[in-house]
Amino acid sequence: MEPSNDVALDIIITNVVAVFRTRCHLNLRTIALEGVNVIYKPEYGKVLMKLRKPRITASIWSSGKIICTGATSEEEAKQGARRLARTLQKLGFKVRFADFKVVNVLAVCSMPFAIRLIDFTKKNRPIASYEPELHPAATYRIKTLKATIQIFSTGSLTVTGPNVQTVATAVEHIYPLLFECQKPLRK
Amino acid sequence: MTSRTCKNCGCSEIDLDQARGNAVCTSCGSVLEDNIIVSEVQFVEGSGGISSAVGQFVSADGPVKAPVLGTGFHTSLGKESRAQTLQNGKRQIHNLGSQLQLNQHCLDTAFNFFKMVVSKHLTRGRKMAHVIAACLYLVCRTEGTPHMLLDLSDLLQVNVYILGKTFLLLARELCINSPAIDPCLYIPRFAHMLEFGDKTHEVSMTALRLLQRMKRDWMHTGRRPSGLCGAALLVAARMHEFRRTVKDVIGVVKVCEATLRKRLTEFEDTPTSQLTIDEFMRVDLEQECDPPSFTAGQKKVKLLQVHYLTLSRHGLACEISLYQDEIETELENSRPRLRGIYAVFSQASCSSPTEVDPEEDEELEAVAQHFNQDYICQVIQGQQQGGEGGGERGTEQSPTPPPPPKVGPSLNSILGPLPSAASLGLCESIQECFSVDKNSDDKSERGELDLDGIDDNEIERYILNDKEVRIKTDLWMKQNEEYLKEQKEKEDRIAKEKEQGTYKEKPKKTSKKREPIRASTAGEAIEKMLEQKKISSKINYDVLLDLNSKGGSPALPTTVDEPPPGAPGRKRLSRRKKQPNKTNLSLANTASIMGKRLRPLISSTPKKKRVTPNLTPAAALARPNISSPPTPTGPTLEENGPVAYDEAAREEEEEEEVEEPCVSALQLLGGNEYGCEAEEEEVF
Repeated sequence: MEPSNDVALDIIITNVVAVFRTRCHLNLRTIALEGVNVIYKPEYGKVLMKLRKPRITASIWSSGKIICTGATSEEEAKQGARRLARTLQKLGFKVRFADFKVVNVLAVCSMPFAIRLIDFTKKNRPIASYEPELHPAATYRIKTLKATIQIFSTGSLTVTGPNVQTVATAVEHIYPLLFECQKPLRK
Repeated sequence: MTSRTCKNCGCSEIDLDQARGNAVCTSCGSVLEDNIIVSEVQFVEGSGGISSAVGQFVSADGPVKAPVLGTGFHTSLGKESRAQTLQNGKRQIHNLGSQLQLNQHCLDTAFNFFKMVVSKHLTRGRKMAHVIAACLYLVCRTEGTPHMLLDLSDLLQVNVYILGKTFLLLARELCINSPAIDPCLYIPRFAHMLEFGDKTHEVSMTALRLLQRMKRDWMHTGRRPSGLCGAALLVAARMHEFRRTVKDVIGVVKVCEATLRKRLTEFEDTPTSQLTIDEFMRVDLEQECDPPSFTAGQKKVKLLQVHYLTLSRHGLACEISLYQDEIETELENSRPRLRGIYAVFSQASCSSPTEVDPEEDEELEAVAQHFNQDYICQVIQGQQQGGEGGGERGTEQSPTPPPPPKVGPSLNSILGPLPSAASLGLCESIQECFSVDKNSDDKSERGELDLDGIDDNEIERYILNDKEVRIKTDLWMKQNEEYLKEQKEKEDRIAKEKEQGTYKEKPKKTSKKREPIRASTAGEAIEKMLEQKKISSKINYDVLLDLNSKGGSPALPTTVDEPPPGAPGRKRLSRRKKQPNKTNLSLANTASIMGKRLRPLISSTPKKKRVTPNLTPAAALARPNISSPPTPTGPTLEENGPVAYDEAAREEEEEEEVEEPCVSALQLLGGNEYGCEAEEEEVF
């Protein structure tokens, strides 16, 4: 059972989360009142602003820290963040685009075979954990990459990691392990 | 035992009388030992004539504690926190475990886990109840008892996922690999609860067989074991002619009706369901099925394919749409990726493929044409050269090259002249992109906003104009009236308090800034530290004070001054020697006294402030003065922290003998003790 090198698996990135700072204090009330697409949450002390073009949602705090979610690629996240900063600039704040960092990337992937989760958990004892009472998937955490993979018995995977490269590496890492525990198809 | 030989006569024959507790020399008769401590088990007669052994059971682990008298309330005295935690945990484990009917061995194992958890500091930040439940569940899993996490969460009334989170964390930290749950474990338990009477065993066996079949049919991966058990038991019951409804089963198994029905449906889909009861008991099918969710996914894919096929059967329209899809995908792949301002245009072009595509394709085609023409010319020449030999072939082939060049110009004529600006503009933008990328790196380092790729017009749309702002403001104000009211009230309150001067900053939990202690001797440092820090019950003050020279203790009496006249609510503390009588206080009283003292002290602090500038230099003098009473730390520190002026005030006290005694909590607590010591010292 050798892991095939040309794994033509579709890794689809569904969510990219990024943070950046504007290095200036923001008045949330002004943003809330003058923006078209904003939701003000006073109890949490933040404003949600949604952009249509790269479809992203941003949480804006008065300290100037902004978290940007919903993008489908790293470039898109950066573009959306810049757009957001430009909007804030137009509202009259002296924003600067500082410390942009992609914090989390979520991707899904599908194996062409089904997987025996109990066998898989047994083989990878401390790293993988499977609690059917709590969640139908087995969780596999790669400490070195800081990535988490959730493996479902149908062969679908959900991978989260700090950037897109890590996600790809994680999938490559886990493919041989899953290949060993695959369930032969009936057809 | 210790005495081998008599002291008087040297005789080694010594008689030990256990009853009297004597050791007597047999030769000279001198009593060598009296009141020998006996360590034998004694018996007393209880009510009803039952004799029982005298003694208490002491646990092997944990510190040796004094026998608990009365209610056992005073467990906090003299006991360390860790032991207390463990004892508490043990009690809770026993409580919970007995409700689950776990045997002693399991409870002990759970307690061992708990000890490990505590030693790894994993109890911090977690509710004790959660940790205990997780330990118990760990034991259940390792022992293989039929207890579910749901049972534990029922008992504790806690969300099962929260318990699960704690459980997973503990298992990972303690490196305990618990075996996966086998639904077969739960069958006997549920069967018992469903009350099958004599046939319970048979029903259980049938259910087990069903479960094993389900396992092989891949129904059990990723599912709650209790759901499968429920389905298996329901079918088994029906097979043995017991009328158990779905409701009975779900009451026992704790899944919802929908889940149970779904499991039954899935089982129905397997080929095993087609067998009769007898056949099932005898025969075991070889085939294995795919997991149900997998088949569901496959079904969807199939549906899509069927959809396309049916579409294609409907003729031209569908064919065209299919081809359109294909063309579009091809075009997307072949189109050059544009960045910059024109990215907007390129994306917009997706929606209107008819107009823009040909333009861009035009460019490509133009290039292609160019190359083609060259190639075709060469081919034609070649062929013409070769064609002289085979004239017919040449004539056949020669028509073929000309058509391609015709295609180019024909498109041109159909679509009209190319907008040259666009094609030029695109080239420019491509060049811009390459140059701009380098710029953007620099800009991001400086933190400036890179306007590349941002369309200002679009962003203008995101911002409302004045009229809209006004309308929105009104709406928002109306919507959030309550919140705004609250905020206003709060501000008013704060303003009022500020005027009154009683405004306290809301607990922002800023750590109290403490000045570094300036002391010349260890004793002084200890005093100052005691003042600053809150009085703890865990410190043995005697030892601390003994650290200092003994010369310090006689100085104590002098500093306790008469209480100032007319100070309301102050406890009049007399001189040192009378203190032991009056200040025989327990902790509770101390606290209340401290409370009473707090308020007067606040008002008196302004006096102290006046004194400060004069006496701060004096304060720096070395004084082995333990006695300077550590004032009740709370209010004085809130005003200002420095130790210096407290000492100054004290000095002032001594000099003026007017100031309040500022009796320390230390004195109140341990005053009698070392007052006594002082007395003792004086006596001895």
